[in-house]
Amino acid sequence: MNLQPIPIEPEVAPAATGFELQLDVFSGPLDLLLHLIESRQLDVLTVPLAEMADAYVTHLTSHPVAPAQLADFVAIAAQLILLKSRRVLPGEPPPALGGTEDEPDEDELRRRLIEYRALRDAARELAGRDGERPSFRREPRESDLPEAPTDPLPPALLAEALDRLAAIPEPVPPPPEVVKREVTIAMQIAALRTAMAGRGRVVLQQVLAACQSRTQVTVTVLAMLELVRRREATVQQDELFGPILVEAIGEARVT
Amino acid sequence: MTRPDDNGAFLEALLFIAERPLSTAEIADLAGVPTVQAEASLAALGEDLDEDGRGLRLQHLDDAWQLVTAPEVGARLAAYAAREEARLSTAAMEALAVVAYRQPCTRSEVERVRGVDSDYVIRSLLHRRLIVETGRRDTPGRPILFGTTFTFLERFGLTSLEDLPPLSSEAAAATALATMAEQGDAGDGG
Repeated sequence: MNLQPIPIEPEVAPAATGFELQLDVFSGPLDLLLHLIESRQLDVLTVPLAEMADAYVTHLTSHPVAPAQLADFVAIAAQLILLKSRRVLPGEPPPALGGTEDEPDEDELRRRLIEYRALRDAARELAGRDGERPSFRREPRESDLPEAPTDPLPPALLAEALDRLAAIPEPVPPPPEVVKREVTIAMQIAALRTAMAGRGRVVLQQVLAACQSRTQVTVTVLAMLELVRRREATVQQDELFGPILVEAIGEARVT
Repeated sequence: MTRPDDNGAFLEALLFIAERPLSTAEIADLAGVPTVQAEASLAALGEDLDEDGRGLRLQHLDDAWQLVTAPEVGARLAAYAAREEARLSTAAMEALAVVAYRQPCTRSEVERVRGVDSDYVIRSLLHRRLIVETGRRDTPGRPILFGTTFTFLERFGLTSLEDLPPLSSEAAAATALATMAEQGDAGDGG
Protein backbone atom coordinates (compact mmCIF):
# COMPACT_ATOMS: atom_id res chain seq x y z
CA MET A 1 0.00 0.00 0.00
CA ASN A 2 1.31 3.38 -0.92
CA LEU A 3 0.75 5.68 2.02
CA GLN A 4 1.26 9.32 1.23
CA PRO A 5 1.55 11.73 4.14
CA ILE A 6 -1.78 13.39 4.70
CA PRO A 7 -1.50 17.15 4.34
CA ILE A 8 -2.50 18.94 7.52
CA GLU A 9 -3.21 22.26 5.85
CA PRO A 10 -5.07 22.53 2.55
CA GLU A 11 -2.46 23.12 -0.12
CA VAL A 12 -3.00 26.26 -2.10
CA ALA A 13 -1.51 26.38 -5.56
CA PRO A 14 0.65 29.46 -6.12
CA ALA A 15 -1.59 30.54 -8.99
CA ALA A 16 -4.72 30.32 -6.86
CA THR A 17 -6.58 33.60 -6.74
CA GLY A 18 -7.96 34.03 -3.23
CA PHE A 19 -9.92 30.88 -2.53
CA GLU A 20 -10.92 27.64 -4.15
CA LEU A 21 -14.41 26.20 -4.26
CA GLN A 22 -14.56 22.56 -3.32
CA LEU A 23 -17.74 20.95 -4.57
CA ASP A 24 -17.49 17.34 -3.42
CA VAL A 25 -17.43 18.11 0.28
CA PHE A 26 -18.27 15.21 2.50
CA SER A 27 -20.13 15.85 5.71
CA GLY A 28 -18.05 13.32 7.63
CA PRO A 29 -15.78 10.27 7.32
CA LEU A 30 -18.73 7.85 7.09
CA ASP A 31 -20.21 9.98 4.29
CA LEU A 32 -16.92 9.69 2.38
CA LEU A 33 -16.55 5.95 2.98
CA LEU A 34 -20.14 5.29 1.95
CA HIS A 35 -19.68 7.41 -1.17
CA LEU A 36 -16.60 5.39 -2.15
CA ILE A 37 -18.53 2.12 -1.71
CA GLU A 38 -21.64 3.30 -3.55
CA SER A 39 -19.73 4.95 -6.40
CA ARG A 40 -18.20 1.53 -7.12
CA GLN A 41 -21.66 -0.01 -6.99
CA LEU A 42 -20.65 -2.29 -4.14
CA ASP A 43 -23.04 -3.48 -1.45
CA VAL A 44 -22.35 -2.01 1.95
CA LEU A 45 -23.72 -5.21 3.51
CA THR A 46 -21.11 -7.46 1.90
CA VAL A 47 -18.12 -5.45 0.67
CA PRO A 48 -14.91 -6.27 2.59
CA LEU A 49 -14.28 -2.87 4.17
CA ALA A 50 -10.52 -3.51 4.18
CA GLU A 51 -10.64 -3.18 0.38
CA MET A 52 -11.75 0.41 0.73
CA ALA A 53 -8.62 1.45 2.65
CA ASP A 54 -6.60 2.48 -0.42
CA ALA A 55 -9.43 4.43 -2.01
CA TYR A 56 -10.23 6.17 1.27
CA VAL A 57 -6.64 7.16 1.97
CA THR A 58 -6.06 8.23 -1.65
CA HIS A 59 -9.12 10.43 -1.50
CA LEU A 60 -8.10 11.90 1.82
CA THR A 61 -4.64 12.65 0.41
CA SER A 62 -5.96 14.47 -2.62
CA HIS A 63 -8.92 16.21 -0.96
CA PRO A 64 -7.79 17.83 2.28
CA VAL A 65 -10.50 18.19 4.90
CA ALA A 66 -10.97 21.01 7.34
CA PRO A 67 -8.44 20.80 10.19
CA ALA A 68 -11.28 20.65 12.74
CA GLN A 69 -12.59 17.42 11.20
CA LEU A 70 -9.27 15.87 10.22
CA ALA A 71 -9.01 13.74 13.36
CA ASP A 72 -12.41 12.12 12.69
CA PHE A 73 -11.42 11.35 9.07
CA VAL A 74 -8.05 9.96 10.10
CA ALA A 75 -9.64 7.76 12.78
CA ILE A 76 -11.65 5.93 10.11
CA ALA A 77 -8.57 5.75 7.86
CA ALA A 78 -6.66 4.10 10.71
CA GLN A 79 -9.44 1.53 11.20
CA LEU A 80 -9.50 0.69 7.48
CA ILE A 81 -5.72 0.35 7.33
CA LEU A 82 -5.70 -1.97 10.34
CA LEU A 83 -8.49 -4.10 8.81
CA LYS A 84 -6.49 -4.31 5.60
CA SER A 85 -3.24 -5.16 7.36
CA ARG A 86 -4.98 -8.06 9.12
CA ARG A 87 -6.16 -9.43 5.79
CA VAL A 88 -2.72 -9.10 4.26
CA LEU A 89 -0.87 -10.81 7.09
CA PRO A 90 -1.14 -14.60 6.99
CA GLY A 91 -2.15 -16.70 9.95
CA GLU A 92 -4.44 -16.19 12.87
CA PRO A 93 -5.53 -12.66 13.63
CA PRO A 94 -3.75 -11.34 16.71
CA PRO A 95 -5.80 -11.61 19.89
CA ALA A 96 -7.68 -8.46 20.78
CA LEU A 97 -5.74 -6.41 23.26
CA GLY A 98 -7.86 -6.87 26.33
CA GLY A 99 -10.98 -6.29 24.25
CA THR A 100 -10.60 -2.53 24.30
CA GLU A 101 -13.29 -0.43 22.70
CA ASP A 102 -10.79 1.17 20.37
CA GLU A 103 -10.09 -2.18 18.71
CA PRO A 104 -11.56 -1.73 15.23
CA ASP A 105 -14.00 -4.40 14.27
CA GLU A 106 -15.29 -4.79 10.73
CA ASP A 107 -18.80 -5.70 11.84
CA GLU A 108 -18.97 -2.68 14.09
CA LEU A 109 -17.82 -0.35 11.32
CA ARG A 110 -20.28 -1.93 8.88
CA ARG A 111 -23.10 -1.53 11.38
CA ARG A 112 -22.20 2.14 11.78
CA LEU A 113 -22.21 2.57 8.00
CA ILE A 114 -25.65 0.98 7.69
CA GLU A 115 -26.99 3.11 10.50
CA TYR A 116 -25.41 6.22 9.05
CA ARG A 117 -26.77 5.44 5.57
CA ALA A 118 -30.33 5.19 6.86
CA LEU A 119 -30.11 8.53 8.64
CA ARG A 120 -28.30 10.15 5.72
CA ASP A 121 -31.08 8.99 3.36
CA ALA A 122 -33.73 10.24 5.80
CA ALA A 123 -31.87 13.56 6.00
CA ARG A 124 -31.86 13.79 2.21
CA GLU A 125 -35.57 13.07 2.03
CA LEU A 126 -36.27 15.65 4.72
CA ALA A 127 -34.02 18.17 2.92
CA GLY A 128 -36.16 17.67 -0.17
CA ARG A 129 -39.18 18.68 1.87
CA ASP A 130 -37.44 21.61 3.53
CA GLY A 131 -39.77 24.56 3.10
CA GLU A 132 -41.51 22.89 0.12
CA ARG A 133 -44.80 22.27 1.90
CA PRO A 134 -44.58 24.30 5.08
CA SER A 135 -47.33 24.73 7.61
CA PHE A 136 -48.01 28.12 9.11
CA ARG A 137 -49.34 28.77 12.55
CA ARG A 138 -51.34 31.76 13.66
CA GLU A 139 -48.96 34.49 14.77
CA PRO A 140 -49.99 36.43 17.86
CA ARG A 141 -51.20 39.82 16.73
CA GLU A 142 -51.47 43.06 18.62
CA SER A 143 -55.10 42.41 19.48
CA ASP A 144 -53.92 39.32 21.38
CA LEU A 145 -52.03 41.50 23.81
CA PRO A 146 -53.87 42.67 26.93
CA GLU A 147 -55.29 46.14 26.44
CA ALA A 148 -53.85 49.06 28.33
CA PRO A 149 -56.14 50.65 30.94
CA THR A 150 -58.20 53.32 29.25
CA ASP A 151 -58.97 55.55 32.27
CA PRO A 152 -56.72 58.61 32.37
CA LEU A 153 -54.16 58.43 35.14
CA PRO A 154 -54.16 61.16 37.80
CA PRO A 155 -51.16 63.50 37.37
CA ALA A 156 -50.53 63.20 41.11
CA LEU A 157 -49.22 59.66 40.43
CA LEU A 158 -46.34 61.14 38.47
CA ALA A 159 -45.37 63.47 41.32
CA GLU A 160 -45.55 60.56 43.76
CA ALA A 161 -43.34 58.47 41.49
CA LEU A 162 -40.79 61.29 41.37
CA ASP A 163 -40.81 61.49 45.16
CA ARG A 164 -40.17 57.76 45.43
CA LEU A 165 -37.35 58.06 42.90
CA ALA A 166 -35.71 60.82 44.93
CA ALA A 167 -35.95 58.66 48.03
CA ILE A 168 -34.00 55.83 46.46
CA PRO A 169 -30.43 56.06 47.78
CA GLU A 170 -27.48 56.13 45.48
CA PRO A 171 -26.13 52.67 44.90
CA VAL A 172 -23.09 51.93 47.04
CA PRO A 173 -20.06 51.55 44.79
CA PRO A 174 -18.70 48.01 44.86
CA PRO A 175 -15.49 47.57 46.85
CA PRO A 176 -12.39 47.66 44.68
CA GLU A 177 -11.13 44.27 43.70
CA VAL A 178 -8.29 43.25 45.91
CA VAL A 179 -5.55 41.26 44.30
CA LYS A 180 -2.76 39.91 46.44
CA ARG A 181 0.44 41.30 45.11
CA GLU A 182 3.03 38.71 45.88
CA VAL A 183 5.54 39.64 43.22
CA THR A 184 5.99 42.59 40.85
CA ILE A 185 7.66 43.00 37.50
CA ALA A 186 10.07 45.50 39.08
CA MET A 187 11.11 42.86 41.64
CA GLN A 188 11.77 40.31 38.94
CA ILE A 189 13.64 42.83 36.79
CA ALA A 190 15.90 43.37 39.79
CA ALA A 191 16.25 39.59 40.17
CA LEU A 192 17.18 39.21 36.50
CA ARG A 193 19.71 42.05 36.75
CA THR A 194 21.28 40.40 39.77
CA ALA A 195 21.43 37.07 37.95
CA MET A 196 23.14 38.74 34.97
CA ALA A 197 25.47 40.79 37.13
CA GLY A 198 28.45 38.44 36.98
CA ARG A 199 28.84 37.34 33.38
CA GLY A 200 26.38 39.73 31.84
CA ARG A 201 24.04 36.94 30.87
CA VAL A 202 21.95 34.19 32.35
CA VAL A 203 19.88 31.24 31.17
CA LEU A 204 16.26 32.14 31.91
CA GLN A 205 15.35 28.58 32.89
CA GLN A 206 17.80 28.79 35.80
CA VAL A 207 15.98 31.85 37.13
CA LEU A 208 12.62 30.19 36.60
CA ALA A 209 13.74 27.07 38.45
CA ALA A 210 14.19 29.18 41.57
CA CYS A 211 10.65 30.59 41.33
CA GLN A 212 8.26 29.75 44.15
CA SER A 213 4.95 29.98 42.31
CA ARG A 214 3.37 29.93 38.89
CA THR A 215 2.65 33.65 39.26
CA GLN A 216 6.32 34.31 39.91
CA VAL A 217 7.26 32.35 36.77
CA THR A 218 4.80 34.39 34.71
CA VAL A 219 6.00 37.69 36.14
CA THR A 220 9.63 36.71 35.59
CA VAL A 221 8.95 36.05 31.90
CA LEU A 222 7.13 39.41 31.70
CA ALA A 223 10.12 41.06 33.40
CA MET A 224 12.41 39.53 30.79
CA LEU A 225 10.21 40.94 28.03
CA GLU A 226 10.24 44.33 29.74
CA LEU A 227 14.07 44.32 29.77
CA VAL A 228 14.04 43.53 26.04
CA ARG A 229 11.57 46.36 25.46
CA ARG A 230 13.78 48.78 27.34
CA ARG A 231 16.71 47.53 25.25
CA GLU A 232 18.57 46.50 28.38
CA ALA A 233 18.85 42.90 27.26
CA THR A 234 18.64 40.64 24.26
CA VAL A 235 17.11 37.19 24.25
CA GLN A 236 18.22 34.24 22.22
CA GLN A 237 16.92 30.70 21.91
CA ASP A 238 18.65 28.44 19.43
CA GLU A 239 16.19 25.59 19.36
CA LEU A 240 12.60 24.87 20.32
CA PHE A 241 12.32 24.36 24.10
CA GLY A 242 16.05 24.99 24.32
CA PRO A 243 17.71 27.27 26.85
CA ILE A 244 16.73 30.94 26.64
CA LEU A 245 19.80 33.08 26.95
CA VAL A 246 19.20 36.56 28.37
CA GLU A 247 22.14 38.88 27.75
CA ALA A 248 22.55 42.40 29.10
CA ILE A 249 23.52 45.10 26.62
CA GLY A 250 25.11 48.54 26.83
CA GLU A 251 25.52 50.24 30.15
CA ALA A 252 23.06 47.83 31.72
CA ARG A 253 25.97 45.41 31.57
CA VAL A 254 27.96 47.56 33.94
CA THR A 255 25.43 47.37 36.78
CA MET B 1 -67.88 13.25 8.41
CA THR B 2 -68.49 11.80 11.82
CA ARG B 3 -67.85 13.31 15.20
CA PRO B 4 -67.79 11.32 18.44
CA ASP B 5 -69.26 14.27 20.34
CA ASP B 6 -70.04 17.96 20.06
CA ASN B 7 -66.60 18.94 21.29
CA GLY B 8 -65.06 18.88 17.82
CA ALA B 9 -66.40 22.30 16.86
CA PHE B 10 -65.41 23.77 20.21
CA LEU B 11 -61.89 22.36 20.06
CA GLU B 12 -61.43 23.56 16.48
CA ALA B 13 -62.53 27.07 17.48
CA LEU B 14 -60.41 27.05 20.62
CA LEU B 15 -57.28 26.04 18.74
CA PHE B 16 -58.08 28.63 16.06
CA ILE B 17 -57.96 31.52 18.53
CA ALA B 18 -55.04 30.15 20.56
CA GLU B 19 -51.83 32.04 19.83
CA ARG B 20 -49.66 29.25 21.27
CA PRO B 21 -49.78 25.45 21.42
CA LEU B 22 -52.20 24.22 24.12
CA SER B 23 -51.65 21.19 26.31
CA THR B 24 -54.19 18.36 26.47
CA ALA B 25 -54.88 19.22 30.12
CA GLU B 26 -55.60 22.89 29.31
CA ILE B 27 -57.89 21.90 26.46
CA ALA B 28 -59.74 19.33 28.60
CA ASP B 29 -60.13 21.91 31.34
CA LEU B 30 -61.58 24.52 28.96
CA ALA B 31 -63.86 21.95 27.28
CA GLY B 32 -64.99 20.66 30.67
CA VAL B 33 -64.30 17.02 29.80
CA PRO B 34 -61.86 14.40 31.12
CA THR B 35 -58.39 14.43 29.56
CA VAL B 36 -58.91 11.03 27.93
CA GLN B 37 -62.04 12.28 26.19
CA ALA B 38 -60.36 15.49 25.07
CA GLU B 39 -57.53 13.44 23.60
CA ALA B 40 -59.96 11.25 21.65
CA SER B 41 -61.83 14.31 20.37
CA LEU B 42 -58.58 15.98 19.34
CA ALA B 43 -57.48 12.86 17.48
CA ALA B 44 -60.87 12.73 15.72
CA LEU B 45 -60.60 16.42 14.80
CA GLY B 46 -57.13 15.86 13.37
CA GLU B 47 -58.36 12.95 11.26
CA ASP B 48 -61.37 14.92 10.02
CA LEU B 49 -59.22 17.86 8.92
CA ASP B 50 -56.87 15.49 7.15
CA GLU B 51 -59.46 13.26 5.47
CA ASP B 52 -61.66 16.13 4.32
CA GLY B 53 -58.67 17.86 2.74
CA ARG B 54 -59.33 21.04 4.66
CA GLY B 55 -57.02 24.06 4.69
CA LEU B 56 -55.97 23.43 8.27
CA ARG B 57 -54.24 20.57 10.06
CA LEU B 58 -53.85 19.68 13.71
CA GLN B 59 -50.21 19.44 14.80
CA HIS B 60 -49.31 17.31 17.80
CA LEU B 61 -46.01 17.36 19.68
CA ASP B 62 -45.47 15.70 23.04
CA ASP B 63 -48.53 16.80 24.96
CA ALA B 64 -49.31 19.97 23.00
CA TRP B 65 -51.58 20.75 20.06
CA GLN B 66 -51.79 23.58 17.55
CA LEU B 67 -53.82 24.35 14.47
CA VAL B 68 -51.67 25.08 11.40
CA THR B 69 -52.21 25.50 7.67
CA ALA B 70 -52.19 22.37 5.53
CA PRO B 71 -48.83 21.59 3.91
CA GLU B 72 -50.60 21.21 0.54
CA VAL B 73 -51.33 24.92 0.43
CA GLY B 74 -48.08 25.94 2.16
CA ALA B 75 -46.19 26.83 -1.01
CA ARG B 76 -49.01 29.13 -2.19
CA LEU B 77 -49.41 30.66 1.25
CA ALA B 78 -45.72 31.50 1.32
CA ALA B 79 -46.48 34.49 -0.93
CA TYR B 80 -48.38 35.97 2.02
CA ALA B 81 -46.72 34.41 5.04
CA ALA B 82 -43.24 34.21 3.53
CA ARG B 83 -40.49 33.23 5.93
CA GLU B 84 -37.16 33.48 4.23
CA GLU B 85 -35.28 30.53 5.65
CA ALA B 86 -31.68 29.86 4.76
CA ARG B 87 -31.32 26.28 3.53
CA LEU B 88 -29.74 23.86 5.94
CA SER B 89 -26.33 22.43 5.13
CA THR B 90 -25.94 18.69 4.56
CA ALA B 91 -24.24 18.39 7.94
CA ALA B 92 -27.06 20.28 9.69
CA MET B 93 -29.70 18.13 7.93
CA GLU B 94 -27.92 14.97 9.08
CA ALA B 95 -27.74 16.15 12.68
CA LEU B 96 -31.39 17.23 12.53
CA ALA B 97 -32.38 13.81 11.17
CA VAL B 98 -30.54 12.02 13.98
CA VAL B 99 -32.28 14.18 16.59
CA ALA B 100 -35.67 13.78 14.89
CA TYR B 101 -35.49 9.98 14.70
CA ARG B 102 -33.64 9.33 17.96
CA GLN B 103 -35.11 11.94 20.26
CA PRO B 104 -34.48 12.57 22.99
CA CYS B 105 -30.78 12.22 22.21
CA THR B 106 -27.46 13.77 23.17
CA ARG B 107 -24.83 15.52 21.12
CA SER B 108 -22.45 12.58 21.47
CA GLU B 109 -25.12 10.26 20.01
CA VAL B 110 -25.38 12.57 16.99
CA GLU B 111 -21.60 12.51 16.69
CA ARG B 112 -21.45 8.73 17.00
CA VAL B 113 -23.92 8.26 14.13
CA ARG B 114 -22.33 10.93 11.92
CA GLY B 115 -18.78 9.96 12.84
CA VAL B 116 -17.74 13.59 13.09
CA ASP B 117 -17.77 16.49 15.56
CA SER B 118 -21.24 18.06 15.52
CA ASP B 119 -21.02 20.80 18.13
CA TYR B 120 -21.37 23.63 15.62
CA VAL B 121 -24.32 22.16 13.70
CA ILE B 122 -26.18 21.38 16.93
CA ARG B 123 -25.77 24.97 18.00
CA SER B 124 -27.01 26.24 14.65
CA LEU B 125 -30.10 23.98 14.92
CA LEU B 126 -30.75 25.33 18.42
CA HIS B 127 -30.37 28.87 17.12
CA ARG B 128 -32.94 28.20 14.39
CA ARG B 129 -35.26 26.72 17.02
CA LEU B 130 -35.53 23.46 15.09
CA ILE B 131 -34.39 21.61 18.21
CA VAL B 132 -34.53 22.43 21.93
CA GLU B 133 -33.08 21.06 25.11
CA THR B 134 -35.62 18.67 26.54
CA GLY B 135 -33.74 17.66 29.69
CA ARG B 136 -30.68 15.84 30.87
CA ARG B 137 -29.81 12.16 30.68
CA ASP B 138 -29.30 10.53 34.04
CA THR B 139 -25.81 9.27 33.23
CA PRO B 140 -22.39 10.54 34.30
CA GLY B 141 -21.90 14.10 33.11
CA ARG B 142 -25.69 14.50 32.82
CA PRO B 143 -25.51 15.26 29.08
CA ILE B 144 -28.14 17.55 27.55
CA LEU B 145 -30.96 15.84 25.67
CA PHE B 146 -32.32 17.40 22.48
CA GLY B 147 -35.68 17.03 20.75
CA THR B 148 -37.41 18.62 17.76
CA THR B 149 -39.89 21.50 17.99
CA PHE B 150 -43.15 22.72 16.48
CA THR B 151 -40.95 24.94 14.28
CA PHE B 152 -39.43 21.72 12.89
CA LEU B 153 -42.89 20.21 12.20
CA GLU B 154 -44.04 23.45 10.53
CA ARG B 155 -40.97 23.83 8.35
CA PHE B 156 -41.19 20.27 7.05
CA GLY B 157 -44.99 20.16 6.86
CA LEU B 158 -45.41 17.29 9.34
CA THR B 159 -48.45 16.92 11.60
CA SER B 160 -46.55 14.88 14.17
CA LEU B 161 -43.37 12.83 14.54
CA GLU B 162 -45.27 9.78 13.29
CA ASP B 163 -45.35 11.64 9.97
CA LEU B 164 -41.58 11.33 9.56
CA PRO B 165 -40.61 9.23 6.53
CA PRO B 166 -39.83 5.71 7.79
CA LEU B 167 -36.20 4.65 8.01
CA SER B 168 -35.12 1.74 5.82
CA SER B 169 -35.45 -1.73 7.37
CA GLU B 170 -31.71 -2.29 7.80
CA ALA B 171 -31.69 0.96 9.65
CA ALA B 172 -34.42 -0.28 11.94
CA ALA B 173 -32.25 -3.32 12.70
CA ALA B 174 -29.20 -1.15 13.24
CA THR B 175 -31.23 1.19 15.42
CA ALA B 176 -32.40 -1.73 17.52
CA LEU B 177 -28.78 -2.90 17.85
CA ALA B 178 -27.70 0.57 18.84
CA THR B 179 -30.44 0.80 21.44
CA MET B 180 -29.36 -2.53 22.90
CA ALA B 181 -25.75 -1.37 22.95
CA GLU B 182 -26.78 1.87 24.65
CA GLN B 183 -28.70 0.06 27.32
CA GLY B 184 -25.71 -2.19 27.93
CA ASP B 185 -23.37 0.76 28.25
CA ALA B 186 -25.13 3.72 29.72
CA GLY B 187 -22.01 5.89 29.80
CA ASP B 188 -22.14 9.00 27.68
CA GLY B 189 -19.41 11.50 26.98
CA GLY B 190 -21.86 14.36 26.20
